[in-house]
Amino acid sequence: MTVDVEGAAPAAPPGAPPSRNGEPGRSWFARHGRLLESAMLPLAFVALVIGFGIHSPTHFLTLRNFSNIFGSQAVLFVLTIALLVPLTNGDLDLSVGSLSGLVSMIVAVLNVNDGIAIGWCIVIGLAVGLFCGAVNGLIVVRFNVNPFIITLGTGTVFSGIQEWLSKEQTIVGVSANLSNWTYNKQLLSIPVEFWYGIVIMLIAWYVLTFTPFGQRALFVGQSREVARLSGFNVPRMRLQGFLIAGFVAAISGVLFVGTTGSASPGTGTDLLLPAYAAAFLSLTTIQPGRFNAVGAGLSVYFLATGVSGLELLGAQDYVQSLFYGVVLVIAVVVSRLVGRRVDRGWR
Amino acid sequence: MDGAARSSAAAPCLELRGLAKRFGATRALAGVDLRIEAGEVVALLGENGSGKSTLVKVLAGYHAPEPGGELRVSGRPVALPVPLDAYREIGLSFVFQDLGLAPGLSVVENLFVGRRVHGAGRRPIRWRSERRAARAIFERYGVRLDPEAAVGELRPTAQALLAIVRAAEELREFRAGAAEGGVLVLDEPTVFLPEEEKVFLFDLVRRVAADGAGVLFVSHDMGAVREIAHRAVVLRDGQKVGDVAMADTSDAELVQLVSGHRLGAEAVAALVGQRSPEGANDPRQAPEAAPSAPQLAPGAPGPQLAPGAPGPRLAPGAPGPRRAHAPAGRGEPVGEGEVALEVSRLAGGRLRDVSLRLHAGEILGVAGLLGSGSEDLPYALFGALPGASGHVRCGRFSGEVSELDPRSAQRIGIALVPGDRKGQGIAPELSVAVNMLSLVLERFVRHGALSHRAIRRTAEERAETYDIRPRQPGLPMSALSGGNQQKVVLARWLELAPRVLLAHEPTQGVDVATRAQVHAFMRARCRQGAAILWVSTDFDELASVCDRILVCAGGEIAGAVSGPPFTRDRITSEVYTAAARGRADREEVKV
Repeated sequence: MTVDVEGAAPAAPPGAPPSRNGEPGRSWFARHGRLLESAMLPLAFVALVIGFGIHSPTHFLTLRNFSNIFGSQAVLFVLTIALLVPLTNGDLDLSVGSLSGLVSMIVAVLNVNDGIAIGWCIVIGLAVGLFCGAVNGLIVVRFNVNPFIITLGTGTVFSGIQEWLSKEQTIVGVSANLSNWTYNKQLLSIPVEFWYGIVIMLIAWYVLTFTPFGQRALFVGQSREVARLSGFNVPRMRLQGFLIAGFVAAISGVLFVGTTGSASPGTGTDLLLPAYAAAFLSLTTIQPGRFNAVGAGLSVYFLATGVSGLELLGAQDYVQSLFYGVVLVIAVVVSRLVGRRVDRGWR
Repeated sequence: MDGAARSSAAAPCLELRGLAKRFGATRALAGVDLRIEAGEVVALLGENGSGKSTLVKVLAGYHAPEPGGELRVSGRPVALPVPLDAYREIGLSFVFQDLGLAPGLSVVENLFVGRRVHGAGRRPIRWRSERRAARAIFERYGVRLDPEAAVGELRPTAQALLAIVRAAEELREFRAGAAEGGVLVLDEPTVFLPEEEKVFLFDLVRRVAADGAGVLFVSHDMGAVREIAHRAVVLRDGQKVGDVAMADTSDAELVQLVSGHRLGAEAVAALVGQRSPEGANDPRQAPEAAPSAPQLAPGAPGPQLAPGAPGPRLAPGAPGPRRAHAPAGRGEPVGEGEVALEVSRLAGGRLRDVSLRLHAGEILGVAGLLGSGSEDLPYALFGALPGASGHVRCGRFSGEVSELDPRSAQRIGIALVPGDRKGQGIAPELSVAVNMLSLVLERFVRHGALSHRAIRRTAEERAETYDIRPRQPGLPMSALSGGNQQKVVLARWLELAPRVLLAHEPTQGVDVATRAQVHAFMRARCRQGAAILWVSTDFDELASVCDRILVCAGGEIAGAVSGPPFTRDRITSEVYTAAARGRADREEVKV
């Protein structure tokens, strides 16, 4: 599953004379260190499954349980992917959670209260996502302000609109068509929305790894000045990042309505932290040091499996917050160590 | 004590023994000993990647050395690794290569970082007296700095002076606390300093040494080392290969020590500041480029992309085209290449009114002191200087410079090698391959997807062509030494096969061997018809590399240096005369 994107794996062809710099005696560990690093999270994932499996094979190790985990976490899965392009650009978008919630509410209200066909509701919801992304991006780029603060502000506005539209009521009775095409219908015993997530993940992976856009975004994220002098259109790329984030977050909002058949005020924001936890966890795996789509997807399900297992062990609801929070902190620290093994880096 | 040979009764200011440091499989320092007596100025010499910076960083506590090394400062043993930020207490003070200033803070805040004049302990800081103390310090050292100014808004020269004064003052404070010895460590201190400020630095260093402290002077600037150092310690590949008294050592011997025989006559000449006209075009200065050429040719995507390709033309005895138009008239090119770039009435930044013509196949040098406007010229022409105005003609483009941005400039065939490698040239955490080829990524799209394999293969070829070491394009940029990073920057921009290359201090902080290579790559490009605008404050380099040299002063082109051949001294005198003339003119205008 490891993607050798940068060719950090030994560059010298087999049989080549030892490099002139005189480093013939590289140990096995030194040569495969990066591979090990990439494999750390998948291994932890397997260990987690085995551990919980041994403990409660009858409940945890069931197809139903996994089908449930994969299906119910598709919203978080997609939302996490939404973060990746802005993060690669070096932008934090804190509004995606509330945007997802807002879109779910718009879809539900239009469908239930106004009787608009669900297809149109989805189109409108996605358009709203794009619009909100554009608002974020234009403010950030035009006025050259810190996206952290701006999206904190716009995200709060999105939440406010969500509550306003809901009139503080949970909207139920959304067209069953949506639920059928997201949660109820299954492929390989897993709800189709999971496979939607996989498709979106693969698209993100392609964009970030196999297009010039994705490679340029790395420069934008690392050094705006280098990117600018390189002739990259930094403002436009950042705007595109926010647009993508808005659109993909809107998709996650639609999936939310499909999964629950309803929309409630205040949802969405609670997904922000786990989404960031998973995104930062992706820095430690598959393509270490990069926000990467496959790693992010793996991380989402690693987190979800952990929470599910802990709950089967009888843990209370609060364990979810504990688990996500702790993992976010650990992920950031580990990614730092991965990125900078240079001994005592305090810069 | 082992002070067997030394006459000095006092303990040495600094004594390092068996200092070793590895980075992964790379040995940066392999058991280095270093000793600085009281009152002694010791130069630490070596190419990029020889271990100089690592040694300085170990002293500052930035790197933890391998176990087994010993450090004594003024006779007192210091446990390694040096605790972070403890160097002040043990009597070391530093001027780091990047100066170590906080750009967002004021001069006074930077000056007294880590200590306070008043308000020790928990008492509040009294800013007024801090500022007064700062002014007194600046007066004592004879520098003019506004304590309230934001450091980021100071010119590089002023920033360097601030860092130097701060280090000297910290050392003085330390010694005032009845402590003996102490060491001032200067890492490439002359990089940001124009000639006149170097005199200030040398005075200061002499004063510090006369007071009985030791000085470690890390530099590529052989002239400065010759001027100020008593002894030179030379590192190569992490090992000490020389420890010589400056008085007993000739320049040629020093160069041999530093370079390990890799240099041709030109580099030696450039290094010691005496140009030998015959050696100037010595083809041997491109030892790496020539042999690599044949391997490169088949794989190169286009003939114009292979800077090593003209290697055979560098073969000894071949009359280079440059030689052909060597007897150039005053400031006018004789090659009569077509005009590649024409600028008129360019203004913006420190530029006031610059007009010039750059011809295909020539290297046009622009010499100027820092602040003369020359440092803004490349960026203005590249469309990267906001608010620039003036008319530019290049290829099919003819229009206002304000219509240009870095992207459109590239499209009309202009490339820029920026001066600030760290800030403008590279993304340190991304791989060498991606850094090198990020301007031409579209070329590597196969069936709708980037082929990372193709990128890697091309990067490997380029690493070979430009002698970038190690030959592992998958490594992050930060794993390379400064000289190799600079070659990546050069490769990156030459990949565009530009018609015009704007180079700003393209060999700044780069070792002599790499420097010679960079010169060779640039010349090769010129022979293929590129035009190069070379803006530098390093007049030695301009003298050895340029076909024509203009002098910039007060934001204008003040004249041309006659030649070639050029000499460093003549450029220096032209530049200073022009600067003085400009100053006088401006004062007259004011009156």
